[in-house]
Amino acid sequence: MPQLEASAAIDFRSESYQDAYSRINAIVIEGEQEAHENYTKLADFLPDSRDQLHSLAKMESRHKKGFEACGRNLSVTPDMEFASQFFSQLHRNFQDAASQGNIVTCLLIQSLIIECFAIAAYNIYIPVADDFARKITEGVVKDEYSHLNFGEEWLKAHFEESKTELEAANRQNLPIVWQMLNQVEDDAHVLGMEKEALVEDFMIQYGEALSNIGFTNRDVMRLSAMGLAAV
Amino acid sequence: MFGLIGHLTSLEHAQSVANELGYPEYANQGLDFWCSAPPQIVDDITVTSITGQKIYGKYVESCFLPEMLANRRIKAATRKIINAMAHAQKHGIDITALGGFSSIIFENFNLQQIQQVRNIKLEFERFTTGNTHTAYIICRQLEQLAPTLGIELSKATVAVCGATGDIGSAVCRWLNERTDVAEILLIARNQERLHDLQAELGRGKIMDLTDALPQADIIVWVASMPKGVEIDPATLKQPCLLIDGGYPKNLATKVQRPGVHILNGGIVEHSLDIDWKIMKIVNMDVPGRQLFACFAESMLLEFEKWYTNFSWGRNRITVEKMDQIGHASIKHGFRPLLDS
Repeated sequence: MPQLEASAAIDFRSESYQDAYSRINAIVIEGEQEAHENYTKLADFLPDSRDQLHSLAKMESRHKKGFEACGRNLSVTPDMEFASQFFSQLHRNFQDAASQGNIVTCLLIQSLIIECFAIAAYNIYIPVADDFARKITEGVVKDEYSHLNFGEEWLKAHFEESKTELEAANRQNLPIVWQMLNQVEDDAHVLGMEKEALVEDFMIQYGEALSNIGFTNRDVMRLSAMGLAAV
Repeated sequence: MFGLIGHLTSLEHAQSVANELGYPEYANQGLDFWCSAPPQIVDDITVTSITGQKIYGKYVESCFLPEMLANRRIKAATRKIINAMAHAQKHGIDITALGGFSSIIFENFNLQQIQQVRNIKLEFERFTTGNTHTAYIICRQLEQLAPTLGIELSKATVAVCGATGDIGSAVCRWLNERTDVAEILLIARNQERLHDLQAELGRGKIMDLTDALPQADIIVWVASMPKGVEIDPATLKQPCLLIDGGYPKNLATKVQRPGVHILNGGIVEHSLDIDWKIMKIVNMDVPGRQLFACFAESMLLEFEKWYTNFSWGRNRITVEKMDQIGHASIKHGFRPLLDS
């Protein structure tokens, strides 16, 4: 039976780590900023949930500040231009859906895809993070579960009328997540995060969300497979 | 509710199953895909005991493949097992058996250290390796089949390959306490563990594989390795009973010699009514009325409502626990496989 090799210790101050961190940290900050904007936007569409959505938006702002502190702690300047480019396609799709009043698509992008992506990435990051970032991230990930839950609950309550739009939105946006993962594979590896673990955790979280909403196991496997189209 | 964590036997097998189940997108994916595939519940199972009692279960496909070990994708292999366990627990399964390589990986890589999986704290008491039932069945196979081949237990030398493992050590204890076998040969790699076992039994000869096999009337093979091992059939006794209780079971194809009788070990036959679709597809090693004893253990624990990790840790299986699970095994309609 082969043995598990011990992982090499991570040098958080090394040039290669800080270089990779400048992009990963920026992605996280940008992601939280966009999440803040997206929830604020969703609050306009869903007056019944307005207060809750504003409170989610506020949490995302707080997360952003936490991650900015993580960058400062390692004396890293986040590459915000890279991050905005990184999110541009998902960002555009959210904006387009919002402009057409497609709430289901907006929720799928923000509350399912982005939250599942965040939960997966944060969970994989926590064991390899520096002490400062670990504490911040542990706090954040707990909040993200509640954000995911908001989307799940809403879509579950409107499952029948949302089903077709969810499938189309999934087909449009899941391959983008795969491309995004490919784009940061090398940087994530420097931080001690393996792409296959990220994909697996994302698939677990996303599959669970789809099944909580009301999709059958078979639907979930079919919908998840659409990410593969990007590879 | 009981659960079974299973996996497919090779990448090729996985691809054909994906096709058969109607997922062509997955059917042409390579090992990389399976390394990042999440666990899935692929079947709901209803089992009716010969007592008439009915229980329900779920089959969790872990997406582990033996190629992950062979290609040193160890992290992926361990992730599959842990994630499948978290999946089973999340779905409220009371007792789940770790089938095939699952329990071997769990033990070998000390996965009990990883109790926190994302937002789930694994409750290990919900899982069983199924090793107690497997060891019991192997012992019963040995006791029942050897005399029919002209091997008298009181004169027989039994070689246990993988003697210090969980199943191997349990088999040694049973042979020592419940049978009158003449000699037990202890074979394993770790000398310290071998000496500990010998001290515990108060008997047994520590030998290496090549010296031991030619002396054995009965060989109990419970070592597990992804690539298997070479045995020279010409050196084996005639008659010789070889019980293949390892995983995967591949000795029958490797050892062919007149007088050498090879039996798949740790397999039960049953007359229970088991309604499942997935087994026809995934359980390639064993035909319809047969079942891995480790899987059967989780069914027995569910029938008896023994919601505890009945088989857990290394070298903790006592003959009393083997008796206990054996009694339940007979009660509900399982029998040791005796035909090869």
